[in-house]
Amino acid sequence: MDKPPLALDPNFSGASEDFPAVLRRKGLLQVAPEPTAAAGGHLFLPTESTTILAFKFSGGVLVAGDRRATAGNTVVYDRADKVLEIDRHSIMAIAGVPATAWEMARVLEHSFQYFRRTQLQEMSVDGKVRALSKLLRDNFGFVMQGVGVVVPIFATYDGNSKPEARLYFYDAMGAQFEVTDYAATGSGSPAVRGILYYENNWGSKKLQELNEEEAVAIALRALDTAAEADTSTGGVDRSGKIFPLIKIVSCDGITTLPEGRVAEIFKQRVA
Amino acid sequence: MIEEPYRWVEAIANRREYVETQLAQGSPIAAVGFRDGILFLTIGRRSRQKIFEIYDRIAMGAIGHPGDIERLRMAAIELASTEGFTRSAADVSLRRLVHYSLSPVMKSAFEQVYGPPYLARLLFAEIGSSPKEDLFLRIDYDGSIAADGPTAQPRQRLAILSGTNPSAELMEKFLQQNHVTDAELPDAITAAADGWSVGRMAMGESAIKELPDRATIRKYRDEQLTNSGIEGAVLERDCKSAIRYRTLSDEELRSVLRK
Repeated sequence: MDKPPLALDPNFSGASEDFPAVLRRKGLLQVAPEPTAAAGGHLFLPTESTTILAFKFSGGVLVAGDRRATAGNTVVYDRADKVLEIDRHSIMAIAGVPATAWEMARVLEHSFQYFRRTQLQEMSVDGKVRALSKLLRDNFGFVMQGVGVVVPIFATYDGNSKPEARLYFYDAMGAQFEVTDYAATGSGSPAVRGILYYENNWGSKKLQELNEEEAVAIALRALDTAAEADTSTGGVDRSGKIFPLIKIVSCDGITTLPEGRVAEIFKQRVA
Repeated sequence: MIEEPYRWVEAIANRREYVETQLAQGSPIAAVGFRDGILFLTIGRRSRQKIFEIYDRIAMGAIGHPGDIERLRMAAIELASTEGFTRSAADVSLRRLVHYSLSPVMKSAFEQVYGPPYLARLLFAEIGSSPKEDLFLRIDYDGSIAADGPTAQPRQRLAILSGTNPSAELMEKFLQQNHVTDAELPDAITAAADGWSVGRMAMGESAIKELPDRATIRKYRDEQLTNSGIEGAVLERDCKSAIRYRTLSDEELRSVLRK
């Protein structure tokens, strides 16, 4: 016989279980196999095809990503959303396998809300950062099989103790690294890191002092540079008028830059 | 006991009396539709929260034993969250949550006389895309459901939860007369707080039977407010975010009622 629609455990305590645990109990979350180096015998490649960048500027954190999704040397889709809103103050930007990454973003989004609703308090920034780290760690079995690598950036605004923007990048195993200025992941990231390092040290202003327009211009230039040498990065599609997705996290929440505004800055300062 | 139907009926009657006594002190909660959404409001002990967010468009108010309320609240959140995760937020429905999940569980707990019943009475509201689609559902300790939704005639777009039936009825009567469903939020807060006072005055030893005049209600309300906490939340219809639930601060509510 099927279980009743609402099975209540008599020893139930709402204090402990997090949302991924609820999903696993209900069989709604795929459990990764134990990570073994021999599985499938694939060569482990840590980076994936895309370019994502984020840096702090005077108005918060800017997160930008190109729109291209690839499979091998084929372009599958040129309007992919890789910069995802998780809650009112958090953005996860993804490089890696889209199926796994989007599912991860969905789990994360529901985890934060589930925590707030059940525990009647907002999850701390450290708790959120750690939650993503744990999802990556749980996914590592798939990574070793060569099917589900995800390397995200997480940007959020800490409204609690000391109000400030916080920026993290991760590796595929779930290690988190907090950065003070900028982060980039994906196959085009070496070029982007070079540009951001250069701008931050010898540019006309430090990244943290840039205004919004200057910040967007640098993000567009960096993505365009990455796309110049990396076929997996879309950059700016001049003929199709497809622009990178740019979002800004500040104390007021998240704003998505309208495409018209990105196009205008591109025309004036980049093209 | 199972082989003897008469004794089962008697046991259920005793249990009903016991649960009613346990719930009789529960401070009322009002849920009223207003121009831009649905308002939940109650006044009572500061130490215990009674109004909760369940999902993007669903809120809950509860009276009863805190342990039982917690178990039902967690179950409701878990069900709504897994449904919202596996399908979509639009597929989470209060009607299904209450009719298919909570009601059967509460009914069987109540009627299995060897196990403990849920000492809880719950009030839910779900905000729709238009006032016509708003749904109010009240579910009692025995799993029975009272609804004010798209199929209810006539629609009054309000629902009451109280410790006793006479209190709930008088409170409902007051709100039917004194609250208009296209009121602005401050007017809705005032009506709900006055309604709460009527409901509270209709409980206990010196319970009133008829609606008191306005001055008596206001005097009682202001007395209660000096010693108790006030709690409120709204489900907003037009909201940029998917999450429609917003807690109203103590200060926000009191500043409205001071006027």
